[in-house]
Amino acid sequence: MSEAGMPITEVESPEASRRQSRQGRAASPVALFLSQMWTIMAKDLRSELRTKEALNASVAFSIVILVLFSFAFDPTSDQAEEFSGGLLWLVFTFAGALLLNRSFVREMQNDCLDGLLAAPIPASALFLGKAMANYLLLMAIELVSLPVFGLFYNVRWARQFWALMGVLLLGTWALTAIGTFFSALTVNLRIRELMLPTLVYPLLIPALMSAMTLTTTLLSGSPLGPDNALALRMLVAFDIVFTLLSVTFVDTVLLG
Amino acid sequence: MDNQNFDYMFYGFVAAWLIIVIYVVSLAMRENRLRRELDRVRQMVDKR
Amino acid sequence: MRMRIIVLLAAFGAAMLVWNLHTILLGLPDEARQDMIFRIIYFHVPGGMLGLTGFCVGLGCSLVYLVKKNLWWDSMAASVTEVALAFALTNLVTGSIWGRQQWGVWWAWDARLTGMLICCLVFSGYLMLRRAVEEPTARARLSAVVSVFGTVNAWFVYKAIDWFPRLQHPGPVLSFRTGGGKMDPVLEHPLYWNALALLCLAIILVMIRMRQEIAAREIDSLRRAAHSY
Repeated sequence: MSEAGMPITEVESPEASRRQSRQGRAASPVALFLSQMWTIMAKDLRSELRTKEALNASVAFSIVILVLFSFAFDPTSDQAEEFSGGLLWLVFTFAGALLLNRSFVREMQNDCLDGLLAAPIPASALFLGKAMANYLLLMAIELVSLPVFGLFYNVRWARQFWALMGVLLLGTWALTAIGTFFSALTVNLRIRELMLPTLVYPLLIPALMSAMTLTTTLLSGSPLGPDNALALRMLVAFDIVFTLLSVTFVDTVLLG
Repeated sequence: MDNQNFDYMFYGFVAAWLIIVIYVVSLAMRENRLRRELDRVRQMVDKR
Repeated sequence: MRMRIIVLLAAFGAAMLVWNLHTILLGLPDEARQDMIFRIIYFHVPGGMLGLTGFCVGLGCSLVYLVKKNLWWDSMAASVTEVALAFALTNLVTGSIWGRQQWGVWWAWDARLTGMLICCLVFSGYLMLRRAVEEPTARARLSAVVSVFGTVNAWFVYKAIDWFPRLQHPGPVLSFRTGGGKMDPVLEHPLYWNALALLCLAIILVMIRMRQEIAAREIDSLRRAAHSY
């Protein structure tokens, strides 16, 4: 372990080690925290991108759900626009649950979770690193599903592109923060695959409601107006409050 | 109209009470189960 | 001592309930627009009040547990939440029946009922989690955290649903919400009395449930003692 207390991820030469300790001594706590978060995020992304198991499964799953929903609702009807936003977010939530469940579960093999918990990084850095990794992966899945959705349901989704991206960014963070936290909470349970959706979906309802109304407005081509201000505020407030709660309680949940 | 009103009011009252009664009954059943378990475990400890 | 409290509360509560039923069914005139069905309010609203209060008390007990690590608080949180869930369910069911009569549909997705439904879902998840975790301290810790998230979420849900208007649930009519005048006092007072009677019932149920939690913990520790030889 280097003097700065950062976990070693590769073998270092003595010069590099000295350089790092000099940097470490000068590094502020914030920079240290961010680098720890970055390490965890990079580790998770790297391991996922090498195998692409969860990524492929989630993308396939989201396409299957889109197809299934096309049988439930008539995609060519005029009313399709009304539930377009809702449908899209349902797809993201279900596909996301696949991904988020694995987040901490993958660490159970070979006691990797114990190793992570024993590492001298705060649990909040561990949580945020994993949440960021899940966030990027889920955004990737969403960006792949969006054109498919547009194709199947004849929705021109690029009309309000940047606003839509903004809503996707905010809504996906809500999904990821709550999902990653409850993945940590349920990691030691036998029936974690049942408990995660049971706990997460009701908690996501306010964020999903806001995201759905905003997305429906944007998918119909109109920009966000003052009517949507409340929904946007709700989504942002949800993100902030639940991120703070998650960061506060992840220590309790993982370590006790 | 009055009759229908009365019907629904009756259903409402019955529903409210039924839920409470079912809960109390489930509590009583749990109490019995716990008592039996407690006796059994006490016997197990005494035997040792 | 406990038994005496329980018996006293039970007697008081039962007497009050009987008196209230008499008032509600026989002593009150029919309401102007809703005829007889409005009498459901005397169980619908107290059920909701007790449910929500119970969830908040559960939150308080969970937070105290997280600070003090005394399992008594965890047992209290679980008991209060479970009893609150039972009363919240009565709120939901009576609300649905009332809605069927007033609006023609069994479930109308209006603000308050949907919010209460989501609360019930979250706290059912809480109870399911408690059953899934065997070890007492882990169970206490995890369910306390879920309780915190659930209660904060409940607040969000209420705000969210108020802002996304659908079918409007009747607004507040109780005088402590509106400052008086929306509901005839003759009709309003039995509501508070009934709330008090149901509160007595709730307290008794919580006490019984607490005793069961303590017995369960005793069984657990005896079992460990038995197996440790």
